Amino acid sequence: MTETETNLIEGLRKQSPQAQQEMLDRYGRDVFAQVVRIVSQTENAEEVYQDVFVKVFSHIGQFDGDRSSLRTWVMRIAYNEAISFLRRKSAPTVYFDDYDRGIETLTDAEVDETLGHASQETVQLIRTALQHLPPEERALVTMFYYEEMSLKEIAYVTESIPTTVASRLCRTRKKLCRIIKMLQA
Amino acid sequence: MKEDILNTLRQQDAALRDAIRLSEQELPQMPADLNARVMGKGLTPNPSPMGELNGHPVVRRLWTWVAAAASLLLLVGVGLTMMPEKQVPQGSPVVAEKVEKEPQQVNNGDCPHDTSEAMDQRDCPRESQPRQISAQPKKLKPKTVMAEQMIAQAENLSQADHGDSSPDPSHRETYQENRPHDPETLTDSDIPITRPENYHYTPEEIALMKRQAAEAYLKWVELELEIAKYNQEQTAQK
Repeated sequence: MTETETNLIEGLRKQSPQAQQEMLDRYGRDVFAQVVRIVSQTENAEEVYQDVFVKVFSHIGQFDGDRSSLRTWVMRIAYNEAISFLRRKSAPTVYFDDYDRGIETLTDAEVDETLGHASQETVQLIRTALQHLPPEERALVTMFYYEEMSLKEIAYVTESIPTTVASRLCRTRKKLCRIIKMLQA
Repeated sequence: MKEDILNTLRQQDAALRDAIRLSEQELPQMPADLNARVMGKGLTPNPSPMGELNGHPVVRRLWTWVAAAASLLLLVGVGLTMMPEKQVPQGSPVVAEKVEKEPQQVNNGDCPHDTSEAMDQRDCPRESQPRQISAQPKKLKPKTVMAEQMIAQAENLSQADHGDSSPDPSHRETYQENRPHDPETLTDSDIPITRPENYHYTPEEIALMKRQAAEAYLKWVELELEIAKYNQEQTAQK
């Protein structure tokens, strides 16, 4: 933990407005991106965003610097708030589910080839396939591939364990490949 | 081990990374004034324990409780006002009995002054005069004196008639046993005064009480005389 982060946490614990403003400036965009990735609509994302920082400011005393960085802790709150919002407010949405266990028939080589071939057509297919994933899985692959978080950090954010995160990532890759195959068909 | 494999896959899945990057770029951007709105709305938790988070003033919550308490008090007050008053029966037996005891003490009036050294002064009705009820007229005091005079006359009479004989001590003991040892003191709250004229005895009532007291005492004296005569006859027969 850097000295700046330590000072920021001290300021938040003293409920200093300057520290809170700095917190918003530093992590606001990441939090909003995490939230809007899950809840989609901007109005809902703004509502969840405010709830996230209310929790951050009021529960800053519970932050443990040994377990995670401040950013990971904030992202965990954002993830949980967004998921809770979806379960509470959003209408139930049906996402792709592998009922016929088709992903088990896919080989690793097949999946690697589909997701590694950086053609424009494949990228568009993957983008479409991403929309058929549940928000939790979409957030998972985004945290891993886009934000390049470690398995430990993702496990902390999703309140899971790294091995479970790894298994879910592998399964999500296969699911994406399966959806692409279905779209191509 | 598995993380290494996944990190390798992360590098290999170029198409997936590009797709996610493009998707992230197309996500709605955070409004520029969102942070200002967050700070302006007072999302900062109030350090006081009564503080509010979402900008609701503390006073608003307090007013709710104050209004509820005031309404409750108003309801209780109205309920107490509308409740019918408890009617105390006029001249209830208990109180009537208490009231009757007082004239009896006055009528008998023979506080045993000869044994007063051994007795508590409070046993004497005359001594408890200041503790008597306010409704008892002060004019009863001369009546007490009159009764004492009559006692003295009766004793003189019996002494004159029978020489050494005096009223039977056993009779006096009987009286003392029957007499209330601790005269009950009535207070204003014990008497249901419902009419203003009941605050004082009327002259007619006082005269009636005096006449009844004199009659009762005369009967007692006659009884004493009869007892004395009977004892004398018995003694003469022996």
